[in-house]
Amino acid sequence: MPMVKMEKILFIFCILTMGILFSEGKSLAMLETLQFHGFGSQGFILSSENNFFGKSKEGSFKYHEVGMGASIRPLSDLQFSAQMLSRRAGAGDRGNIRLDYGFMDYKLVSKASNDFGIRIGRMQNPIGLYNDTPRDVAFTRPSIFLPQSIYFDRTQNVARSSDGIHFYADHRMGIGDLLYQLGAVYADVDGQESKKVLLAEVPGDLESRLSYISRLMFEQDGGRVRLAITGLLLNAQFKSATSPQGRGDIRFRPLIISAQYNAELWSLSSEYALRNFRYRNVGPLNFNITGESYYLQGTYRLFKTLELLLRYDVTFQDKKDRKGKTFAARTGRPDHSRFAKDATIGLRWDITKTLMSRIEYHIVDGTAWLPLLDNPPPAPTKRYWDLFSVLISFRF
Amino acid sequence: MKRLIPLLGILLTLLPLPQAIAQEVVVHQKVHQEEISRNTLRAIFGMRLLKWPDGRAIKVFVLQDDHTTHITFSKSILHMFPYQLRRAWDRQVYSGTGQSPNEVSSLKEMSEKVASTPGAIGYLSHSIEHQFETKLDLKVLHVW
Repeated sequence: MPMVKMEKILFIFCILTMGILFSEGKSLAMLETLQFHGFGSQGFILSSENNFFGKSKEGSFKYHEVGMGASIRPLSDLQFSAQMLSRRAGAGDRGNIRLDYGFMDYKLVSKASNDFGIRIGRMQNPIGLYNDTPRDVAFTRPSIFLPQSIYFDRTQNVARSSDGIHFYADHRMGIGDLLYQLGAVYADVDGQESKKVLLAEVPGDLESRLSYISRLMFEQDGGRVRLAITGLLLNAQFKSATSPQGRGDIRFRPLIISAQYNAELWSLSSEYALRNFRYRNVGPLNFNITGESYYLQGTYRLFKTLELLLRYDVTFQDKKDRKGKTFAARTGRPDHSRFAKDATIGLRWDITKTLMSRIEYHIVDGTAWLPLLDNPPPAPTKRYWDLFSVLISFRF
Repeated sequence: MKRLIPLLGILLTLLPLPQAIAQEVVVHQKVHQEEISRNTLRAIFGMRLLKWPDGRAIKVFVLQDDHTTHITFSKSILHMFPYQLRRAWDRQVYSGTGQSPNEVSSLKEMSEKVASTPGAIGYLSHSIEHQFETKLDLKVLHVW
């Protein structure tokens, strides 16, 4: 399904909603359920080497997000939600306004112990602990930059939201809640940075193919313990720009295991992922590799409005070639582009309920998640680098 | 001795009352329910369960995050930290999968709103200053 059609579908949803509104004469009661939300943030980034979102070596302000959304619940089982987003992240994301999500959510079963429902439209992808937290809203992220080993910001467009259909089932039991989501979707793979990352220098285009996403989450005591397993099967077709017959495909199959414990003053989170990439006839590219990622993160509320973050985050593009030596020998590209180890310390300050500020420092070894558009090859990258960032954010 | 009783009464009212000792879950009078499980209550205040068993929409009312009664209710009745509730609401609001509860600014407003909104649920502190309002048109749910 092409992404442009979404606006039309949403428009039809709106008409349908209006129909319900007038036919049942419930306009007043329904309008009471109309809710608006919004957020915005501006970041400053400074790096010792390598550019991350703009020319950060000189100091970059090219990192901001603005979003606005609304939801309405005409019936207790039916909700319509939409959000527009503009995001600037260096050269990879230039701040154009787009529909971040827009969908209809209908609960077919809604009981004290069970929910079963369906969502149709463009939804945020339920991946791990943070993708649908959601990741664009600085307030709901644990840090300025999410652990890049799993939530790659450079290819955020692919992961953030996709068009299609989701089924969800919640089962509430004495020992906790089981939350399951299954989606059949088309991901957004034709973003500039995503193409650069996925195709390297191969000339051609990528087109989304039907993909699947599934997450099972267990929550105890309303989220004191959260455990999840996420599986994705993302398909894209490659069309060569140089030969009309040149077709291939990319299959991305990550598996993520997530765990979180939330105490009154501290939280501990960890995720582990195996990321399988298979390229077939993508120009000269034919390979099947599995990357490995994990992080351990702790936050501690020092005061009511001040929170400390510590994290160690690791990623390997190929777990059989962790140091990138084989890759470097074969391609002539730097070995340090195949891994990244990031030690982060950060502080969150909730100035008011709607205004928040963050500061964080990363000590990084490796460039596996460095945005390519901000560091166009063959510009040299450095293996050891530091990243500093400050962010101010509001929401309503 | 008889004269002492009213005096004792006056003295008692002057004593500092412990604030928000106990919490009560209150619903609109026409909600056909006498008791509720903690699990169901969590689903309701977490904005995941949106309907009463009879099909009526549930309207959730809460106080601000830093209100003493909200904190005590969250911890002692739901067995959750207030920030967990806030996160659950944020997750749903900003991803479009749910809505946030109606926020009221005082216990007085809470009792008025719950009493006047069909399908409403909220909570009150069990202290003397509010027990009159609680007796208005509200029904107290027994939590098990």
